[in-house]
Amino acid sequence: MIRQALRRNPWSFLGPAATQCLAAALVTAGLCLMASLDGAPLGREQRQALTDSGIADLGLLFLMSSIYLSMLIVGVTMSSAIRHQARDIALVRAVGATPGRVRRAVAAQAALVAVPATIVGVPLGMLCGRAWVSGFVSHGLVPAEVSFRVHGGALPIALAVTMGTSLLGAMIAAIRPSRVRPAVALADSAAPRLRIGVARTTAGLVLVTGGTVLSVLIADLDAGTADQAGLFVMLAMCTGAGLLGPALLRVAAPAARLLGNTGRLAADTLAVHARGLSGALVPLTLAIAFAAVNLTRTATTTHVTGVAAPAADRWLEFSGTGAYTAFAAIAALNTLITTILARRRDLAVTRLAGGTRGRTLAVVVCEALLVTGTALVVATVVAAVTLLPLLHTALGTWRPWMPGSWLAAGLAGTAVLVFAGTVLPAAITLRRPPIEVAG
Amino acid sequence: MESVVSLTAVSRRYPRGVLALRDVSLDVPAGQFVAVMGATGSGKSTLLHCAAGLDRPTSGRVRLAGRDVTRLREAALTRLRRDRVGFVFQSYNLLSELTVRQNVALPARLGGPRARPVDEVLESVGLGGLGRRPVGELSGGQRQRVAVARALVTGPAVIFADEPTGALDPTTGAQILGLLRTAADLDRVSVLMVTHDPVAAAWSDRLVLLRDGAVVADGPTPQAEAIAERLRGVSRVPA
Repeated sequence: MIRQALRRNPWSFLGPAATQCLAAALVTAGLCLMASLDGAPLGREQRQALTDSGIADLGLLFLMSSIYLSMLIVGVTMSSAIRHQARDIALVRAVGATPGRVRRAVAAQAALVAVPATIVGVPLGMLCGRAWVSGFVSHGLVPAEVSFRVHGGALPIALAVTMGTSLLGAMIAAIRPSRVRPAVALADSAAPRLRIGVARTTAGLVLVTGGTVLSVLIADLDAGTADQAGLFVMLAMCTGAGLLGPALLRVAAPAARLLGNTGRLAADTLAVHARGLSGALVPLTLAIAFAAVNLTRTATTTHVTGVAAPAADRWLEFSGTGAYTAFAAIAALNTLITTILARRRDLAVTRLAGGTRGRTLAVVVCEALLVTGTALVVATVVAAVTLLPLLHTALGTWRPWMPGSWLAAGLAGTAVLVFAGTVLPAAITLRRPPIEVAG
Repeated sequence: MESVVSLTAVSRRYPRGVLALRDVSLDVPAGQFVAVMGATGSGKSTLLHCAAGLDRPTSGRVRLAGRDVTRLREAALTRLRRDRVGFVFQSYNLLSELTVRQNVALPARLGGPRARPVDEVLESVGLGGLGRRPVGELSGGQRQRVAVARALVTGPAVIFADEPTGALDPTTGAQILGLLRTAADLDRVSVLMVTHDPVAAAWSDRLVLLRDGAVVADGPTPQAEAIAERLRGVSRVPA
């Protein structure tokens, strides 16, 4: 069954594999940074200076954040890959596989994907780590004695992280399809559940509320602690937004009706595919919010104090932000592509019902606009809740500031990402004659 | 009066050299219900696809609702299909996540004409009251009714049906064929149906038999038993 599933849907596992590969790379880079800093032949004073500047802890901080981020993002991509297998799971349940057997098979798949992804990701992370360490040295953040060292445990630790996150995501996603009765499952996969679970909504609301409360509480703490807690606020808010994702997209969907008949079709389609697309909403929101928080904080600090941060600090800020944002963005891209490829047949049916290639693509464009808009709005809210208390603590202002060109670049970047994940693959699949696809 | 569907010396050769259609000519006037039969691989589906503009013949000419489809560009061809042609497939080809109403409104949403109100069409195919149900929850027979409704809502000149009863039981299948028969009789819609079922073919006015991509018989449809007899005749592998 495992081999069959992998062969049938090779694309659906590309997403989890890619994100796991990046997760392994991030973890490796963090570990190697730690090893390089710890292992450097430094004098007592030099080491003390590193500890005081907070650079010494940077490796560990980066590692921990990478692990949190990986849990979230690998979990999301893995569970969306499993969701596309719901029908296959129903079929093997119907021919007599027990729920336990299905769960074991799903776990085996998740583990199987993690191994090659990690093997590719670890060397990638070492390359990044090497570039990063040399960047530290060239920007004068660390003494020249610090040289790149490979962390001995990089491979097993990275493997443990990818394997663990992959299994967790897959198991959570497999709970429902493995438990329901096969007859129900077969019908269910033909018409996806439209009602959003009470547990899901409750958990989402709790996380969003918790994040907000935490954010307000840390506003009164000292700047350093508030800074570190900020990441948790953001992760909680993004996970919460992801859980509320289907509801949010369904609320956003009617906006497309303003765009005429094509928009109406897009709105109807989006409403029923909200669950699948919300898998892309988590990493997308995370990428935008993460970049927005860090860049706005730097920009506002410069704007309010009138003093630009040292070039070295700016480099540090941007390289870290860049790594996380790219990770989340690639995960979002993966999920979007998986979702649109799973709809190949629907697109062909739309063409058979009389949709020209252009008009069918226009429907996808409308959907992409909606997803982009929703992600931007949600990410702005998340960023605001995370950032405003931090700004208030550090600078005593409630007004964030960001150059207009950065804002425009962010909007354009998000749109390009969503379009590359939806419109591009749709355009490619639409090149095949519809009768070949739908039959 | 000009035929709604007109094929002149149509051949279709597939890339690997298989000749699926050989020099087929066929004219279908308005309101005629034509059944196309033949063994598996006789070219039935290729004939339907070429006639409907879903596939392009290698040689010959196809006219559909007054337009030469062999010369039309893809987008214009799609618009012609959307506005003048209805389809009913064995595999339904509906958007199963959307509701019955949303599926029937699909051609209009894609810019096509809405010749008849959606509710009236749903009522006429016996789906009144089911409009808000997702198609995925319906039975096979109900789904095929949705497909017929979607085909009829634009007020087409012709409906192409590819094994429309292939996945249905005889009773349900007969109901679908009844809907097609009514469309031909009352609305003067031409119907071109591909089938392997003699009972289904018996609902038609005219029977076309294919063998190895060529028309071997074309005439008024006899009784189901006689159809089965003729079908056995053309299916027999020549010694």
